[in-house]
Amino acid sequence: MAVLRPLDKLPTLNSGVLLLVGSDEALQQKLAEAILQEKKDFNISIHLAASLPLPSERDHLRPRIDLVVFMIDIKSKYSLKNVEASLAHVDANFFLGKVCFLVTGVGRVNACSIETNAICQLGKAYCSPVLFCELELEGIRVATAQRLLRMLQICAGHIPGVSALSFVSLMRNSDDD
Amino acid sequence: MAALALEPPAPAPTFEPPAPPLDPEPIPAPVPAPVWVQGSINDGDLNALALLRLRDRLKEQLVEYKAALLANQEYFTNHLKINIIEEKLIQSATKNLQKSIEEVKVSLQNKTLALQRVQITDALRNQVDHNDEDSRLILETMKQIGLLSQAVVEYQQQANHKEERMTDIKRKRLCLKVDEGQKVEQIQTTMDMQEEKPASVNVSETENNKLEQEKQMTAVIQNVFQNLIVGSGVNWAEDASLKAVVLRLENNVCVH
Repeated sequence: MAVLRPLDKLPTLNSGVLLLVGSDEALQQKLAEAILQEKKDFNISIHLAASLPLPSERDHLRPRIDLVVFMIDIKSKYSLKNVEASLAHVDANFFLGKVCFLVTGVGRVNACSIETNAICQLGKAYCSPVLFCELELEGIRVATAQRLLRMLQICAGHIPGVSALSFVSLMRNSDDD
Repeated sequence: MAALALEPPAPAPTFEPPAPPLDPEPIPAPVPAPVWVQGSINDGDLNALALLRLRDRLKEQLVEYKAALLANQEYFTNHLKINIIEEKLIQSATKNLQKSIEEVKVSLQNKTLALQRVQITDALRNQVDHNDEDSRLILETMKQIGLLSQAVVEYQQQANHKEERMTDIKRKRLCLKVDEGQKVEQIQTTMDMQEEKPASVNVSETENNKLEQEKQMTAVIQNVFQNLIVGSGVNWAEDASLKAVVLRLENNVCVH
């Protein structure tokens, strides 16, 4: 069982690597396309995975992963369980700001089967920010893509003076309020 | 414009093929992660600004790695300390276990000895019940054993008495030693006192000498005064105060 580690590979020049973990593949692709359509000045590679651990046979080909986004569909309890199982395969150093929980489908409150409180607890337990969004809507999808892109820039060390850790501590303060 | 030159080409054509279809059932082996690569900076686009920006990024990443390295060093040293503590714990635990093993061994030996004794007495009792030559011999030896053990007990009592006397004597010797020490202390103090006395005698002798010298000096001075008064030819009997002085000079100090 390979544990995903944040710093065991050298970073590639001028690039950021995003890992999307979630059980809904169509949503992942939509979000990935939205992120790639954003205006940016560095190379982005987006890896999609249904769950962790990632296959170890392709480990030497995979670049250093800068940000892991766990996608939780608020309409399915399975997605939350899947994410919780995947979290065990992430090294503790990742939770110093390089992990983010993305809750999708927030627009349809009637179809909720997961309590938002449980997700917030999850984010608090893993010291990681929780973003709520509705990927079916064009505007929110673009906004989410921009947010994730900005976070990726920070996590990949593209913003001088701002580290992932300082960013996540900023985010957490706003959460606690 | 420099910033514009860095803009990547349109993203859509450079997509890698998307992920292979997911199995609907959860599978133990995770799905391989597909990679979408965005267009990169062409060599022709590189300019000073882009290089500066890259340098900043590299610096930021270096800082991150340094921080991680520092944290890991601390973690490593802590881990070493924990290992040493665990080793010590294990060593003490093994010592304790060895001790308990020894205790168990000793108790086992004692128990086997007791068991053997019980077996022997049982066999002897059975033999005695037979009422034959052997039983007679056994009874005789048992009587002898009884007599011998009585003798042993007596001798042990005697030994105890002697030991008690021995301890008494030792106690007395101890008392004597304590007394001796006290006496030696007394002798020491008296010796010190005796040494102090001659010193005081010496002091008084020197004082006497000084007094003697002073007396002689005053006698000489008296004589000088007397001769001065007589030699000056003054009629000292007329003046009352002078007469008193001369008469006082008559009293020689040395005579007293």
